[in-house]
Amino acid sequence: MGIARTSLKGVTHYVPSKAYKGYTLFTPMFGKDAWLIDMQGRIVHHWSTEPYKPNFARLLTNGNLVYQGVKSGGIMGPGVAYLFGEDYEQSEQDRGVCLIEVDWDNNLVLKYEEPQFNHDFYRMENGNTMLIKYVTVPDDIKSKVKGGIPGTELSGGVMWADALNEVTPEGKVVWEWLSYEHLDPEIDVICPLEYRGEWTHMNGCNVLPDGNVLGSFRQTNTICIIDKATGKITWRWGAEELGHQHEPTMLDNGNILVFDNGAHRFFTQDLDYYSRVLEVNPATNKIEWEYKDDPPSEFYAFGMGGAQRLPNGNTLICETHGGRIFEVTPDCEMVWEYVSPFYGPFLVYGQANLIYRAYRYGHEHEGLIGKNLDPDKFKWLNGIYGPDAT
Amino acid sequence: MGIARTSLTGVTHYVQSNAYNGYTLFTPLGTRETMLIDMKGRVVHQWKMPYPPALYGVFLESGNLLYGGHVEKGPLADLKGAGGELIEVDWNGNAVWNYQDRYLHHSFCRLFNGNTMVLRWVQVPKDIAAKVKGGIPGTEKEGIMWGDSFQEVNPRGKVVWKWLAYEHLDPEKDIICPLCPRSQWTEANSFAILSNGDILASFARLNTICIISKSTGDIKWRWGSGGELGHQNGATILENGNILLFDNGTHCVHFSEGYSRVLEVNPATNKMVWEYKDDPWMAFYSAYMSSCQRLPNDNTLICEAATGRIFEVMKSGRIVWEFVNPFSASFDPVYGHNRIIPRAYRYSPEHEGLQGKGFRVFSLFPRRSKI
Repeated sequence: MGIARTSLKGVTHYVPSKAYKGYTLFTPMFGKDAWLIDMQGRIVHHWSTEPYKPNFARLLTNGNLVYQGVKSGGIMGPGVAYLFGEDYEQSEQDRGVCLIEVDWDNNLVLKYEEPQFNHDFYRMENGNTMLIKYVTVPDDIKSKVKGGIPGTELSGGVMWADALNEVTPEGKVVWEWLSYEHLDPEIDVICPLEYRGEWTHMNGCNVLPDGNVLGSFRQTNTICIIDKATGKITWRWGAEELGHQHEPTMLDNGNILVFDNGAHRFFTQDLDYYSRVLEVNPATNKIEWEYKDDPPSEFYAFGMGGAQRLPNGNTLICETHGGRIFEVTPDCEMVWEYVSPFYGPFLVYGQANLIYRAYRYGHEHEGLIGKNLDPDKFKWLNGIYGPDAT
Repeated sequence: MGIARTSLTGVTHYVQSNAYNGYTLFTPLGTRETMLIDMKGRVVHQWKMPYPPALYGVFLESGNLLYGGHVEKGPLADLKGAGGELIEVDWNGNAVWNYQDRYLHHSFCRLFNGNTMVLRWVQVPKDIAAKVKGGIPGTEKEGIMWGDSFQEVNPRGKVVWKWLAYEHLDPEKDIICPLCPRSQWTEANSFAILSNGDILASFARLNTICIISKSTGDIKWRWGSGGELGHQNGATILENGNILLFDNGTHCVHFSEGYSRVLEVNPATNKMVWEYKDDPWMAFYSAYMSSCQRLPNDNTLICEAATGRIFEVMKSGRIVWEFVNPFSASFDPVYGHNRIIPRAYRYSPEHEGLQGKGFRVFSLFPRRSKI
């Protein structure tokens, strides 16, 4: 069970002897800030992301910060537009979607504009960036797509899917993969409780050491490996196990870590809703590690969320809806927990402290070497949001 | 937002001037103890029961407790809400009446005439089951689809009226949620008796509440399957004729889930006339069970089962009383080390059944953590 829910804020639990020490990076949803906090929950660095509201940011080994710049907030795709009865295409122009890289002092290093850029991106070894973008499904393929709620294509019968683009630092697209060319309408079936405005809703992309891409498709409850050379899907998993999962990553041992939200999970026996974090072996499709709470219902985010395997074998988990970031050992013992004290309006859902994803960077992380990480720089803010806040 | 989640237990909030004073009755899941607590969270009366609850017990005007027990070795004991025996005991726990039926489940209701309406599982005939749409293909329970039946039982245990859901439902309209197994067509989980004797029933798997005519058996009204409800519970009828229910918000379409709400619906217009949601919406959520009760001062008592939280809200949505279950249940393979309270009811000190009863504070538990 979580040590805290909404009544406690900041770091609520910390076992220094077992936690992976470092700094945690997150961007409160619908805010314009990236915060780096220490293990005590003190702010040690801050980037303003004005005028953008990124879902999350990554720290690079050169100390730069990369994020998706979206003026309206990073989840405003066709899915959310559908929820509010809006037309996604019409709202495209003012969304100003781009990839932003800034240095430690927030000087702009790179800006790549792509109106259909969504969800995730990955900085590759060669300096290029892999990113996801929305594309429409051609009519002849669209009619073959199965599942979803009949008749819920968007106005004009539009169905969206996703593409992957590899983009150079100069903004040149050097590789493109169109999901609808490689998905199989017989296998890649939309969840029966989802609309048909999107076939895939790709929400994660991770470039593997061999250059292949690990992707996540929310609509079809599937994670897959895409062969970089041929574009073929060489492995897919999850339709019988996952419920609108997020952020698969490949671990050093070749297994895949994924945040399984649990929403619309294909249960045959019980209806208990809970999230879990899974480590699955893609060679055997066996689940080799699982974290869920006890009771299971105490850990649940129906959307968003993520997990990161840390160098000491622990796992950092971000439970979006409680604004809760926590670290568990391989034995599933919680050794660090933080509840975001940053609140803001979350669409129509009210005031919330949502965090889409979080990342921990160890003290030895290259990007942090030589940086001033003194929490006293933020004495005033830490008096409000830090461990001494009342 | 709820004033407390898991870190606080007992009565966490109490606004005396706005709350409806009384005693709150509940039985934590997996325990054999029914508790009556006062507004400060002190246990003032307790019944030891022979079985854990199917879901709950209610307090009668006679001062007796009518309780649905979960008989662990029943033929369908593995289905959620499985009962098996209805037990009536007096204030001191002495047995007054019981009714055994291994297929009882979820809910029951004592009628004005002294009879008891019970809910039981019956097999859906194979030819009808074959016509039922929806659900995950091939997930019948050992080839069988179970449906619901209401039975009116007199004090001698004789069945004097019976209604079979499969005779009145329409396979073209009453379609199982696409993510639910076909082990049950309907999964009735709560019902209430209208003043004219008709039955208001909640069919969870159909996302439907309906009114059943007592005289003809016809379904006179149905609502909820158009995306309004997500596996709802706790259907109750109000004095103004409206329906108050707990919409769990599970298996809803697209992103419109992950939060619960309590709704008041006018069955004459199918319009929602009142709604309670938390701020943010996700901070109030129970995927299963749960109940709601409109109180005489117009407040609403809500039981959020999954978190063991019972709270009272004003019409404005302001919370004026909150209690978090401090009693943890034994381990459950599905729910883990939980503190689920399936349902809760508030009774005023003027309630007939409470007259002349000597209350005493049974224990120091539940401790008050913060008021």
